Amino acid sequence: MKDRETRLVSGKGQFVEDMELNGMAHLAFVGSPYAHAKIVRIDAGKALSMPGVITVITGKEILEHTNPLPVQADLKIPGGLWRLAKVYALATDRARWFGEPVAAVIAEDERTATKAADLVEVEYEVLPYVRDVKEAMKPDAPLLYEEWGDNKQVHLKFDFGDVNAAFKEADQAIKLIYSEGRASGFPLEGRAFLAQWEKNTEFLTVWGTFQTPFMARHNIAETLGLPEVKVKTIAADIGGAFGNKIHTYKENVVALASMLTGRPVKYIESQREWFVTGPHQRDVSWEGEIAFKKDGEVLGLKATVIHDLGVESTNKGIAATSIFPACCAVANAYHWKGMHIEGYGIVTNKSFYCAYRGYGKDKGIKFIESALDQVAKKLNMKPEEIRFKNFIQPDEFPYKQINNYIYDSGDYPAVLTKVVEMADLKGWREKQKELRVQGRYIGIGMAFTVEPAGVAIPNCQMGGITQARVKMLYDGTFEVHSDWTEIGQGSEKSHAIIVSDIIGCNIADIYVAPVTSDWIGQGPLSSRGAVYCASAVAKAAKILREKLLRYASIYFEEAPEDIDTGDGKIFSRNDPEKSLTFKEMAHKVHVFPGPRGMGEEILKAHDHLPDVTTSWYSNITAETGSTYTTFCASADIEVVEVDLDTGITKILEHTHVHDAGKAISKQIVDGQIHGGIVQGIGEALTEELIYDENGVLLNCSHADYLMPTALDAPDIKIGHLETPSPFTETGSKGMGEAPIIGGKAVVLSAIEDALSPFNVRVNESPVTREKLRKWILEAQKGIGGNAV
Amino acid sequence: MKNFVGSRALPDLIYHCPKDVENALALLKNIKGECKIIAGCTDFIPAIRRGAWRFGDGLNVIDIRGVDTLQEITKDADNIRIGAATRLSDIVDSAIIRKYAPILSDAVNEMASLQVRNIGTIGGNLCTASPAADTAPPLLVLDAAVNVKGVDRDEVVSLYDFFKGPGKTILGEKDMLTEIFVPVMKLDERVQFIKLGRRVAATLSVISVAVWAKMKDNIFEGIRLAFGAAAPTPMRAPKAEAYLAGKEASVEVIDEGAKIAADEINPISDVRASEGYRRDMAYVLTGKAIAACVK
Amino acid sequence: MNVPIRLKVNGKECDLKIEPQATLLEVLREQLKIKSVHQGCQEGECGVCTVLLNGKPVYSCLILAIQADGTEVTTVEGLLKDGQLHPLMESFVENHAFQCGYCTPGFVIKAYYLLNKSDDLTEEAIRRGLEGNLCRCTGYVNIVKAIKAAAEKKRSGNWW
Repeated sequence: MKDRETRLVSGKGQFVEDMELNGMAHLAFVGSPYAHAKIVRIDAGKALSMPGVITVITGKEILEHTNPLPVQADLKIPGGLWRLAKVYALATDRARWFGEPVAAVIAEDERTATKAADLVEVEYEVLPYVRDVKEAMKPDAPLLYEEWGDNKQVHLKFDFGDVNAAFKEADQAIKLIYSEGRASGFPLEGRAFLAQWEKNTEFLTVWGTFQTPFMARHNIAETLGLPEVKVKTIAADIGGAFGNKIHTYKENVVALASMLTGRPVKYIESQREWFVTGPHQRDVSWEGEIAFKKDGEVLGLKATVIHDLGVESTNKGIAATSIFPACCAVANAYHWKGMHIEGYGIVTNKSFYCAYRGYGKDKGIKFIESALDQVAKKLNMKPEEIRFKNFIQPDEFPYKQINNYIYDSGDYPAVLTKVVEMADLKGWREKQKELRVQGRYIGIGMAFTVEPAGVAIPNCQMGGITQARVKMLYDGTFEVHSDWTEIGQGSEKSHAIIVSDIIGCNIADIYVAPVTSDWIGQGPLSSRGAVYCASAVAKAAKILREKLLRYASIYFEEAPEDIDTGDGKIFSRNDPEKSLTFKEMAHKVHVFPGPRGMGEEILKAHDHLPDVTTSWYSNITAETGSTYTTFCASADIEVVEVDLDTGITKILEHTHVHDAGKAISKQIVDGQIHGGIVQGIGEALTEELIYDENGVLLNCSHADYLMPTALDAPDIKIGHLETPSPFTETGSKGMGEAPIIGGKAVVLSAIEDALSPFNVRVNESPVTREKLRKWILEAQKGIGGNAV
Repeated sequence: MKNFVGSRALPDLIYHCPKDVENALALLKNIKGECKIIAGCTDFIPAIRRGAWRFGDGLNVIDIRGVDTLQEITKDADNIRIGAATRLSDIVDSAIIRKYAPILSDAVNEMASLQVRNIGTIGGNLCTASPAADTAPPLLVLDAAVNVKGVDRDEVVSLYDFFKGPGKTILGEKDMLTEIFVPVMKLDERVQFIKLGRRVAATLSVISVAVWAKMKDNIFEGIRLAFGAAAPTPMRAPKAEAYLAGKEASVEVIDEGAKIAADEINPISDVRASEGYRRDMAYVLTGKAIAACVK
Repeated sequence: MNVPIRLKVNGKECDLKIEPQATLLEVLREQLKIKSVHQGCQEGECGVCTVLLNGKPVYSCLILAIQADGTEVTTVEGLLKDGQLHPLMESFVENHAFQCGYCTPGFVIKAYYLLNKSDDLTEEAIRRGLEGNLCRCTGYVNIVKAIKAAAEKKRSGNWW
């Protein structure tokens, strides 16, 4: 079977933009030019009279034909604050962010729809708007949702261990502040949908950039008031996701358009709309205090993190839920005695928050890594020393972390030792000294990341659901289904590797079906592919293998224990003559002699079909309530050179060592590492979404939202270690997010190290050239010249 | 206020492709209704897509890439003549420009990306007149001139007088830019161009500096400074130039000259950089560029 | 107002009727059904629409099809030989030089141009040559690796 790679490199992708259906119409959205405004009136007359325009959908049709978007997470924590607002698929009475869709034009072709979008006349009453968290929290701030009384959407509090005792026992405590600019993934393909309403059978099919087809189908059905069985979502080839496509919402309007017009309707989101209509992420500020002993042992942490969530989103709670891991993941790789963490989610008139590689875990980890560096400095310890001092040790696993996560396995000292060695830390430190004398400033940064993966949250659509099916067909090939959507992360290949490894068939004989809503599951998010999806597929493959051994035992007249598989064959260990290819096996099983030839026992047990559907749930979560199941570990060391005169940061070298348990495919894992690190570098140096004083997003395109090019990205050296997870079927751990977390943290750490003679604190990002130059000038004024 | 629409469609176009300058001018004269000269479209199309430029349906576009003489690079004893429709990549590859005006080929080589340089033209870059146009500072320090032709117009104008404001030049609705004349560099002249963006590649200038210096016994016999993204138009720095002229190129003099230039420019704060950073970098980069020339 | 133009696309002469405002990208995708060229940003920033025009890499979204009249266009479809992958494409597959695949045809075309232009590409030259093509998935490491490996294939005569 021609594999996906061959297809894509030959240009035979089937992205939504490549799909065509007879009678297809096109949709274009009309967005609000204001950050906050009442929609007084929409007059689509001029647009409707343009030749080629079929219809225009506004809030009126949305209220008439759709329900408010369904809740996806409802996490009422005692003592906390959790609010959701009523949100529809299109703005109805009010636009709450610049670019928010207020109408949709459906026309014969994309060009006509876009031109007609300009003719839709919308009368607004401009309202005062909230520019940022600070303004949102003022007592007289304009409210986004009057019924709330203020602009706080979420407030969570966590008390772990005994924080007071921890601070009492400590010798010292230092205060910390840390913030991250607003950024997100923006894969090169935006959201795209093709909806087809079949009016006779009243069945809705939607092809799209669905990272989570099963969840999407439920949400569409509820929104449109359709029975779920009458809706099917199909993941097309997806041009990257990184979490940005788990929550979509525009597809509801596309689907409604098809229902109202009776035509298939396509929507291809422009890049500009992708930036403007979210989902956005990061944009947090931390304030905290870390308590420690003079030998470097960290004991306690008090911290508050405030998120700028933008508007209460159409993802109805998924965005807000990210505040959980933001607060909890601060524990990272270390022993703690007590913590008090508070997380806020504040609404502002910006595009909504959702998920981007890291989701919430990234924030806590970046914060604590920066904090540890400060503790190390205070105590005149090296950054690796402070980490070695506080690591959870290899013999402590499974380890109940202070945040109630159960860490499965790991060897953190080995990972850090290896990266120190591979990066030649000693050599670079010597070089650093030499270069400083010459007036050149290089810095060596370090970051350690323990990534919680495989999420299962109560009262949330991401509750830990997954399904897999593996079957052997008449021709001896295998067909695999799951909820592990291919978004470029290699799930299709991974399915095939897992099934081939377990069953012993050839990879070329495995067909991995595109993921659709037919299969229950929450899709690849939170790096759960290697945890839940892989486990379900592995389990199904194992059960199927057992069945095949039982069938073969009938044909070979041998005990199943004496039969083995491999290399596309099933054979007896005792007698090499007794061997069948899977094709021959399949013929026997299905037809010749078929079920009648299988014997009474198998038939009476109804066990005669080589087809297994199964599910998987994490035992450790079931037993302990630990939200995540696996915890991969990685370490980054990066060397940068900072040009004092301009603020330019040049990355000289990047070394990364990771332990993601048993890798399903090293090549796939390395690819995730490369991509994640470079995204982290983008966040660290150049990526930031900036709204102006009118609440208008200033950087709506690649010209001004700057992602790393091949020249900005470094070569990356990777080292591997494997401590298998005892909690997954394959021993693998989710690892897709660790690289972006460490990848960003290490850049800031390196820049701070480069400028240590100037005592510049790098606790803000992105560290643009301008910002860095400003800090250098300020520091130089303070110190009065270069200090070596 | 305009609706936010993601990526706008191009208007219906009426396309003209004259084969010589006379026909182009005749078209400009005779066409009733809106018309626009196009060449590479590397500004035209993006500007329409993001809603910065808006045209009604039936826009007449006059594609001057059909005129061969406007794509030639030739040289006589004193001047290089560059046709306005010359592709940026041809400027980078041109042996004539590399030898006699290398600052221009160096600067153009850092513009946008290879794909854009293979389509975009020097005339387009000058006529779009972004304050950050990267071809302008090198041309300004080389004291380039441009040939403006129109219905009743055929004059050679110093590039110094060409730009009028952000996106505005002396070109009227019925005018076109046909050639750029660049004085051939002499052996005792030195040039340097430094561009600062927000990332390493494919970046718009936050500020760019071009320096031309004629040195004798380490004295500035002649000195020209030009800046991009530093004012409403690409600009020279006459005050700084006046200060430097005739002086010995000592570290202190160069530093002072750079300070005066940084003060003389008139940058804005926008999403790409603040006024303060632009002035600061003008100071830093002018110093470096002059030092490179003087070395 | 349909205007006739002629393009030689992947070696095949194509007579087309187009609107003056149609971009080369639109004509390639919609009329010739060449889907390897992707829509992307439509503003000449991301590179997914990169094709070779008379042998040089350009953004097809920034060219009016009418301006391309009489030119030769090459896309990845044109690099296949009887359905067989070009050695450069094989190199991309072998070296895991793409993940979601959306930017890949643009990179392959760019790499094809770079490798044909020079037999001696350094890492720096490769990376500079790739400016103008964005990738969000791979971090570029394997793309550079694939291009180096393809250079080896070309040196050993495995090329067309």
